[in-house]
Amino acid sequence: MLQKKICMLGAFAVGKTSLVRRYVESIYSDAYHTTVGVKISKKVVQANNSEVNLVLWDLYGEDDFQKMNWKHLQGAFGYLLVADGTRPATLDKALALEQKARAEVGPLPFVFVVNKCDLVNDWQFDAALEAQLVAKKWTILRSSAKTGESVEEAFSQLTGKMLG
Amino acid sequence: MDTFSGPVGCGPHFLPARQIIMADTPATRRALEPAEQASAKGTGPFDELRHLILAPEQEALDRLHQRVADPEARTEDVSSVVAEAIQLRRQQGDDEALSHALAPTIETALRESVRKDPATLADALFPVMGPAIRKSILETLRSFLDSFNEIMDQSFSWQGLKSRFEALRTGRSFTEVVLLHSLVFRVEQVFLIHKKTGLPLGHAIAPSVATQDPSLVSGMLSAIQDFVRDSFHTAEGQGLGRMNVGDLDVWVEQGPYAIIAAVIRGIAPRALRDTLAETLENIHRQYGLQLERFDGNTAPFAAIDGDLARCREFRYKEEPRRKGRGYVWAAAAIVLLLVGGWAGWRWWQDHRWSQLVETLRDQPGLVITSFGREHGRFVIRGLRDRLAADPIQFVKNAGLSIKRGEFHWGAYYALDDAIIQQRAIAQLLPPPGVTFLVEDGVLRPQGSASSTWASDLVRRALLVPGIRAVNLAGLHRNEQTAFDKAKSDIQSLVVTFPIASAALSPSQMAALRAIALRLKSLFASADDLQQPATLEVIGHCDSTGAETTNVFLSQRRADRVVWQLGQLGLPGTRLHAKGAATNEPVRKEDSEENRQYNRSVTFRVTSPGAN
Repeated sequence: MLQKKICMLGAFAVGKTSLVRRYVESIYSDAYHTTVGVKISKKVVQANNSEVNLVLWDLYGEDDFQKMNWKHLQGAFGYLLVADGTRPATLDKALALEQKARAEVGPLPFVFVVNKCDLVNDWQFDAALEAQLVAKKWTILRSSAKTGESVEEAFSQLTGKMLG
Repeated sequence: MDTFSGPVGCGPHFLPARQIIMADTPATRRALEPAEQASAKGTGPFDELRHLILAPEQEALDRLHQRVADPEARTEDVSSVVAEAIQLRRQQGDDEALSHALAPTIETALRESVRKDPATLADALFPVMGPAIRKSILETLRSFLDSFNEIMDQSFSWQGLKSRFEALRTGRSFTEVVLLHSLVFRVEQVFLIHKKTGLPLGHAIAPSVATQDPSLVSGMLSAIQDFVRDSFHTAEGQGLGRMNVGDLDVWVEQGPYAIIAAVIRGIAPRALRDTLAETLENIHRQYGLQLERFDGNTAPFAAIDGDLARCREFRYKEEPRRKGRGYVWAAAAIVLLLVGGWAGWRWWQDHRWSQLVETLRDQPGLVITSFGREHGRFVIRGLRDRLAADPIQFVKNAGLSIKRGEFHWGAYYALDDAIIQQRAIAQLLPPPGVTFLVEDGVLRPQGSASSTWASDLVRRALLVPGIRAVNLAGLHRNEQTAFDKAKSDIQSLVVTFPIASAALSPSQMAALRAIALRLKSLFASADDLQQPATLEVIGHCDSTGAETTNVFLSQRRADRVVWQLGQLGLPGTRLHAKGAATNEPVRKEDSEENRQYNRSVTFRVTSPGAN
C-alpha cells in the first residue's frame, strides 16, 4: 500500500475546504481548522494501476489573525496550492506560500489550483500571470468546488507528480 | 415615523380640543408641537379637512403609540401572554432556539441565586442530589468490593500464594501484585505512526472495536502532537505521552522515526508502557533505515502488525523489575540460606533439648510436666525431688547453653527406689559396713552393725517417706559376727591325747586353759545375743583298738576335758561330754600324723539362733 501525505495550502477562504469536502473522506469537522489548525482527510486515487492513499492535511488558511503552522508541512510528499480566481490578493498569497514552502521543506511536487472558476464574471486570473507561471513549469488547473470541475484531476495530477 | 407624525397634529384650529389636550400630559404636548409648527406655516383648510376625516383613527393611533412607548404598559401586555407564547413555541417544535436564547439568562440567574444564597438552590436540588450521590457511592463501593473480593479470593488460593511469592521476588507489595492481576483494561488499538509524515505504518485493533480510518487517526494524532508542542512550548524532541478522556487512555511512546500509540480502555499497568517502548525499540532496530527513508510505501512494514498485535494482547505478567533482578535473586538466596540455616539450627537445638528432656524423664526424682520454647528460651517445667540429680549438670553434659534454658521445679517426694534409698541413707546414716538397698519400698540393710543401732533401725526407717517395710535379713549384728567367729574358731580346735590314754599332757593343759578363756567369752557373747549356747565335747579314738574299748576311751577323754573345763570355771550345765569312738573321725587315717588327730577331743557349740 502506498500512502502519501499531501497538504492543502492557500489563503483564507479560497475554497480549500470546499474542494476537499465533497471529494474526500473525512471524519473530522471543519472546526479542527481553527482549533488544531489542520483537518485530516483521505483521498484514494488510482495511479500506475494501483491505489494510492492520499492523506490530506487541510491546513488553516493563513490570514491576518492566525498564522499557518508550517510544521504541518513537514513530511508532506506534495501539496495543492489553492487560490481564489476572483480575488487577486489570494493569487499573490499563493505565490508567497509557494516560496515559503520551498524555504521550509524544500522543493515539493505541487499543483496550483485556481478555484471558483464557475464565477466567470468575477474572474480575475489574468493570462499574463498564468503565462508567467506556466513558464516556471507550474501545473495550473482552474477548478470549481461548486461544479466539481478539475477537482479529481488536481489530485490525480499531484499523485502523478509525486510518483513520477 | 417622522414623515408621518410630523405634519399630523391634533390641529391648532381645534382650539377646545387642543386646550383639553394641552391640559393633559407632557407627552401629549410633545406630540402637538409639530402641529403648531405646521399651523405657523399656514396650511389651513386642508389640515382642517384632514382632521375632520382622520381624527378618530389618529386618536386611536396616538393611543397605540402611547401604549407602545410606555414600558410599563408594554410589560403589562407581554406578561399576560408570555407563558402562552413559550408554550406555543414549544408546540411548534422549535425549542432549540428558545433554549439557546434562554440559556445564558438562566445560567446567570442560577449563578446569581447561588451567590446570594446557596441554600435556596441546594434545597431545591436536594431531592435530586441525594439519590444521585447515593447511586454514585454505591457504584464506587460495588466496584471497590469487587476488587476487594478478588483480593480476598486471591489471598487464600494457590494464585494468592503465587502472588505472595511474586511480591517477594519483585519487591512489590502483595496488594499491588494482586491489583495488577485484577486490573480490568483492554488495549483496543495500537498504531505505529511515521513521525515525520504522520502516516500509519501499522495498526492492530481488538475485535469488535469500531474504528476510524487509521490514516486519518494517525494524521490527526501527529497534528495534535504538533499542536500541543506549539501551544505549550515543550522542549525539542519531547512529544505527547498520554491523553486521557474518561476511561479511555491514549499512551504514546516516542521514537526517533516513529511513534507508537495505544488506545486503552480501563486502567492499564505501567508494564504496558515498558512493552510499548520495547516494541518501538525493536522496530527501530529492525527497520531503522526504512523508517528514515520512508517514501509512503508501507509494504516493508507488513510484519509490524504482528508486533503491534502482541502489544494489543498485552496482559499483566509477573515480570520482575529489571533493575537489580540479580541482586534480588542473590538476596533471596541469601535470605533463603539464612532462613534455612536458622530453621535448621533451631530444629537442631529443639532436637537436642528434646533429647535432654528424655534423659531427664529417665532420671528418678524428676517429673517433666511440660517443655517448649518461650520467648526464645527453652523452658522446662516439672517436679523435682530434692535428692534427684541436678538437671543443670545434664545441660552442661549435653553441651547446651544454660542461658538458653530455664527450669521451673516444684518440690515433691519421689517414690523411686533409688531416691528412697538415698533418702534413707541421708536420714538413717548407716554406719560403715552397712549398705542400704531399697526394693519396691522395702529397705534391705546389708552388712553388720551394732545391735543397738540395728534394733532402732526399723522404727526410724518407717519414718522415711517411701519406706513401707524393713527386711533385716541382710543385716548382721557385730556381736553375732564375733560369736560366729569365736564359735568357728573353737570348733576347729583339736585337743590330742597319747595312745590309749585320757590324760592331758602339760602342753594340752595349757591349750585347754586358753580354750577355757575363749569359751567364757563365747558364752558371754551368746548370752548378749540372747542365744544361750552350750558346748558339746566330743571324744574320738583311732581305729586301732577294739570298738568297746574305743567307746569307753572316747567317753573318758570327753569327760576328762569337761571336768578340766569345769575346773577352769566354766559352768558344768553348759558342758556335755560325748564319746564318739571312731564314728566321727577328725581326719582320714592315712598317715600316723592324721591318726594322732583322731586320738582327740573336739568341740561343737550349739545355740538356738545360730543360723
